[in-house]
Amino acid sequence: MSSGTGKSGSRKRAVYPPTDYERIFHPQAIAIIGVSADENGVGFGTGMLRAIMMMGFEGKIYPVNPKGGTIAGLEIYRQVEDIPGPVDFAVIAVNARYVPDALEACRKIGVAGAEILSSGFSELGTKEGRELERRIQDIAARGIRVVGPNCFGIYCPASGLTLLPGPDLSRETGPVAFVAQSGGMSIDLAHAGKWLGVRFSKMVSFGNGADLREAELLHYLADDPETRVISMYIEGIKDGDAFFSELKAAAAKKPVIVYKGGLSAAGARSVASHTASMGGSRVIWHSVLRQAGAVQVNDTEEMAQANLAFATLPPKAFRGISIVGGGGAIGVTACDTAETYGIEIPALPPELQERIGSVLPKPGSSAINPIDVANPFVGPEALKEVLLGAAEDERVELQILVSLLFHYKGLARAFGRPVTEVTPYRELAQCVRDVVAKTGKPVIAVLPNMTRGVDSMDVTELIALTRREYLSCGIPVFDELHDAIRAISHVNNYYGGRIK
Amino acid sequence: MKNEKAAKIIEKALKQGRKTLSEYEAKQVLAAYGIPITKEVLVKDKDQIEKGINKIGFPMVMKGCSAEIAHKTEKGLIHVDVRNATEVKKAFRDIMKGMEGFKGGVLMQEMIKGRRELVIGLTRDPQFGPCVMFGLGGIFTEILRDVCFRRAPLELRDAMDMMQEIKGHKILAAVRGMEAADTDLLAQMLISVGQIGLDFDDVMEIDLNPVILAGAKPVVVDALIVLKG
Repeated sequence: MSSGTGKSGSRKRAVYPPTDYERIFHPQAIAIIGVSADENGVGFGTGMLRAIMMMGFEGKIYPVNPKGGTIAGLEIYRQVEDIPGPVDFAVIAVNARYVPDALEACRKIGVAGAEILSSGFSELGTKEGRELERRIQDIAARGIRVVGPNCFGIYCPASGLTLLPGPDLSRETGPVAFVAQSGGMSIDLAHAGKWLGVRFSKMVSFGNGADLREAELLHYLADDPETRVISMYIEGIKDGDAFFSELKAAAAKKPVIVYKGGLSAAGARSVASHTASMGGSRVIWHSVLRQAGAVQVNDTEEMAQANLAFATLPPKAFRGISIVGGGGAIGVTACDTAETYGIEIPALPPELQERIGSVLPKPGSSAINPIDVANPFVGPEALKEVLLGAAEDERVELQILVSLLFHYKGLARAFGRPVTEVTPYRELAQCVRDVVAKTGKPVIAVLPNMTRGVDSMDVTELIALTRREYLSCGIPVFDELHDAIRAISHVNNYYGGRIK
Repeated sequence: MKNEKAAKIIEKALKQGRKTLSEYEAKQVLAAYGIPITKEVLVKDKDQIEKGINKIGFPMVMKGCSAEIAHKTEKGLIHVDVRNATEVKKAFRDIMKGMEGFKGGVLMQEMIKGRRELVIGLTRDPQFGPCVMFGLGGIFTEILRDVCFRRAPLELRDAMDMMQEIKGHKILAAVRGMEAADTDLLAQMLISVGQIGLDFDDVMEIDLNPVILAGAKPVVVDALIVLKG
């Protein structure tokens, strides 16, 4: 709430309590307080217990319910104090009014941190809700870190902690961290990341953020060796000073991608100056994020795509690129899009054009760059030659291969065979992988699908299989050329200074 | 360290229960922070006119100056390109009459010649505190809204980046026979405006509009400082 400034004219710097994040994100033993004593219960606690078990969490799990009994083959402890071994992390899902006691019990037995899934706190706007949340803060201040309340919790693929309701998130760990108040946004991104190929180091949905929240999490993630890319969705922040200084410090170390929701263009009402009337939250946030060196995105998709680009591309700016594709309106639209984002598509020198042209069908192809391969059925080996050739131009620092695989549906029909059998998508991914290995220049695959109706579910399947094949070769995939180029521009802006 | 001269001006206005500083006071605050302003004298009595002429010279600008009056242009309280003593006396009479008994005087001000007008400002964001604005000035401020902000305190690179961020950034380059703007000085001005915001919690808003480029050099021609009230 504070935006105050120091009397001396400088801004204050926050001090954070020592926190054992290792025990929080990679717990050996967890307690789940508030499971149902009934096997068929459907509460948050039971849901989380099942989700964590389905994720294959390898540590000990201690369910807690005053009634005792068993659930999912595990003994239920009547109270936290009865748990026979040390506990690193706790999931609290009891009714709001019992949360402070449960949290205090965890603190007393030395739990490092707890996620409180329960709602019924400050978000209600009632005196009781605020009072309960204040009690949580008091307990937290005495030595246990809290995520929540009113949140979906922590997702950590390496340890098996998962968000609510996420029994089927990926266990593959990766370089991207995500933090948000919104649990819904977190679980959406976790699911999207699974098929997009964005692998997470850890994800924190902190809900009301009674204790751990944006600024402190940035502070932690900036130096977290498991995290190379930080992304966050923000609605409100608690402390502008702390947020700005942590964001700036983090962005100096690794890319921080920020999606700020709930911005208004209008400035403050009833102000006397032009300056104040123009300083609406949208322009101020934009300015502050730029000042801090953050990467700004405008929706969830753009954020996921930026995550993918930062996670898979080498840390540098790509000023010149080649674009290879065929069978669509690739040339002009590619140039228009690239120019919008300040990226060059240099015309290749004649000798390279000649070499590339020699493997392409004629007439109809063009080897200038963008390279139009004339039809969508040019095979992987020929495309490999094209990409190897274009990479020889030193101005080409990255290549984009656009494959209109949906056209294979016609071929499949003609042959009376499934589209996944007539399309050489495995060979395609392998050829691209070879090109990257040989040239040292990244290739991005773009797989547009213009046929998404129910009569083309086989094409949807083909695209999904191709994407998986590419991802297993370390090649990032985007649906549209524009998405790919915009994601590259984010990388360029971060590593190469701003485009004017 | 808070600037003492600026503090005196602001505290005096606050004691009088005022919500704004007069243009003259605002410029004194700016000058105390090293921000280049127009050469000007505040004249309250016609006996002081001669002294004003000697100090400012011709041509000059004359403005009604009172913390109680906003929108000087609309009220006919600005006379530009005043060229001789006769015109000065007439302008003085007209302005004093137009002030309708509001407390204040007439500001005799050097006339800055330059075709490029910029704006520098300060607002207080509920989250981020004092934020400095930079952009195209004069009538274009409201029409094009080609402005950007930075949170105070500004580093030199922040100030330089602001000048690149606006769409009309080429206005600062050497164009159409005009000199390139002194961006180092502009950067110092942006940093200083942010510092005023950090030093005085009571300064809520600042508008320096226009800031005219006299050749390469930016000069604050009009200034508004709004106080907490």
